[in-house]
Amino acid sequence: MKRSLIVAGELEDVLGLRGVLDSVGLEYAEAFVPDRLLGERAVETLGLKKIYAVERFDEAQSEALAGALRDLVTGADTLLVLAPSRKMYRELFARVGQSLASACVNDCTNISLEEGKLVVERPTLGGGYVESLEVKRFPAFLTFQPMGRSPRRRDATSIEVVKLGAVTSGRRTPKLLSVEVAERGGAELSRAKVVVSVGRGFKKREDLRLAEELARLLGAELACSRPISSDLGWMPEDRHVGLSGRWISPQLYIAIGISGQVQHTIGVRGSKIIVAVNSDPSAPIHREADYSVTHDLYQFIPALIKALRERSPSRG
Amino acid sequence: MFVKQVPDVSTLEHDPSSLAPRLDRATLRLGESDIVALEAAVRIKEEFGGEVVVLSAGAELNELVLREALAAGADRCLYVSDPVLRLADSWVTSNVLSRLSKKAGDAEILFCGEASSDSGNYQLGPRLSEILSIPCVTHALKIELSGSVVRVKRALEDRVENLECDLPVIITASLELASPRLPSLLMIRAASRKPMTRVELSELGLQEDLIQPQVERLTVKLLKTSRRGVVLTGEPDACAVKLVEALEKEGVLRG
Ligand SMILES: Cc1cc2nc3c(=O)[nH]c(=O)nc-3n(C[C@H](O)[C@H](O)[C@H](O)COP(=O)(O)OP(=O)(O)OC[C@H]3O[C@@H](n4cnc5c(N)ncnc54)[C@H](O)[C@@H]3O)c2cc1C
Ligand SMILES: Nc1ncnc2c1ncn2[C@@H]1O[C@H](COP(=O)(O)O)[C@@H](O)[C@H]1O
Repeated sequence: MKRSLIVAGELEDVLGLRGVLDSVGLEYAEAFVPDRLLGERAVETLGLKKIYAVERFDEAQSEALAGALRDLVTGADTLLVLAPSRKMYRELFARVGQSLASACVNDCTNISLEEGKLVVERPTLGGGYVESLEVKRFPAFLTFQPMGRSPRRRDATSIEVVKLGAVTSGRRTPKLLSVEVAERGGAELSRAKVVVSVGRGFKKREDLRLAEELARLLGAELACSRPISSDLGWMPEDRHVGLSGRWISPQLYIAIGISGQVQHTIGVRGSKIIVAVNSDPSAPIHREADYSVTHDLYQFIPALIKALRERSPSRG
Repeated sequence: MFVKQVPDVSTLEHDPSSLAPRLDRATLRLGESDIVALEAAVRIKEEFGGEVVVLSAGAELNELVLREALAAGADRCLYVSDPVLRLADSWVTSNVLSRLSKKAGDAEILFCGEASSDSGNYQLGPRLSEILSIPCVTHALKIELSGSVVRVKRALEDRVENLECDLPVIITASLELASPRLPSLLMIRAASRKPMTRVELSELGLQEDLIQPQVERLTVKLLKTSRRGVVLTGEPDACAVKLVEALEKEGVLRG
């Protein structure tokens, strides 16, 4: 039986990727993960055959992880190697793909495997289109965007564990001088039922208080457009949604002061209801919304907060 | 400096029946993060001297579009334009561009965008790193060059890293690395006199398997969404009440 390999640093991603393998009926799976995931109960019910546990996985440079992964894949009969769509894994897979002359496709949203023909879907042309690709060289290295697939739970089994120690690269690599760990938040964001999202329509950082207040009333998580996190640094990078950020599917997504370029909206297409608040009636976000409001956010959000308070005076 | 010619996705039209993009009618431009990378390269040249060479590959490259990179301050351009590249995937593109870069001579810094604006593969930089055995720093937010060492700040989803690397190095630019300037009329005029060299694919000496795609594109279709499109009108207060009522009916408010 051909083997598949899951590469991931977080538990939720291991589960999601096992779900991806289950969706195409691939049973034999191994995992390449940080050693801190070893004790996790949820991992024991995934029917994994083997775990390669890497020490200090999170600090490893991509060259080093690539070297270790290449060794695991070389010579073994591997069909798929899967990872979440995050920057480090995209880079890792591009490297290993190149050096093994194997295919690598990033940001897959769908996969099908019939009679040995592997077809994946992914966004293209800025996110407004979806392309379907046949992958012809194996092992295929694929990163997956929103997984949202639950794995089949099996009985807990004992898994063979191979400890890999801290991986290092023999090559000349960039030297890490310092790391500023940002507040994480993406995971909560991915799970949230209601998301309040802010864009450049907000003039000052302090004004985000309006959105925070609204989020508190709605029991929502906060998200943002890319310029808010990356240009302005008003929110952690992990909170930006869109093509280059998180893909989320809440019940309710409220976009405030966001123009709605396709690179942003692709990340929220899975939402049940989208509300747009944007003072410009021609902003594209209005065409992507179930309910659109063309008021100045500085007038409308306080009004919305008031209306929500009046709905349930006990709250807030 | 690698720059890809791409369709302008913000004005791209699609065929209403097949939902396929009308690439034949698209306006061509240079990729967004590629232009950012180019700006970073030109600023380094302005401060430290040297030369900025633009490298590009594609199925049907338009010299006028490539000249935009020269107008933005690059000195010369080498490109491969060959119908075979219509089917190119990241494997083929990287193999071709690595050879082309060798034709251009040794570089101290190889710049590219973090992702191309059309296909967004996030692959060229790390792949070149493997082919050329040169370290690569992806997603650069800020770079500082001193002597033969470059310091790079880069953002991952959950952390910002400060790295240091000896030259030569490959750097992929995030959109925030630099703000591209608008070329002046003078720069545009100067660009028309800068050298532009077309290199034939056959001159690169690539074996067949290096230009054989590993991934085949079957279809490309518009991603359709259907939204309710209800426009809420009235003064802010009244409008807010209407919205709350609507959301309550949808069952998406808690409580
Ligand atoms: C390769 C690539 C990847 C990208 N990836 C992402 C991504 O993952 N996520 C992402 O978000 N972006 C991404 N972008 C950027 C994207 O194209 C847009 O530039 C970005 O989403 C715009 O952010 P914004 O809507 O906050 O700002 P703007 O486009 O500046 O929009 C601000 C909006 O606020 C409105 N406004 C202003 N004042 C008010 C007011 N007082 N009240 C109400 N409304 C007001 C304006 O009408 C305007 O529509 C990417 C771009 C590229 C090229
Ligand atoms: N055909 C090409 N010609 C020149 N540069 C390219 C080409 N394809 C990709 N690049 C460069 O590589 C970067 C990343 O592209 P990609 O790996 O396709 O996302 C782009 O931003 C460009 O700088």
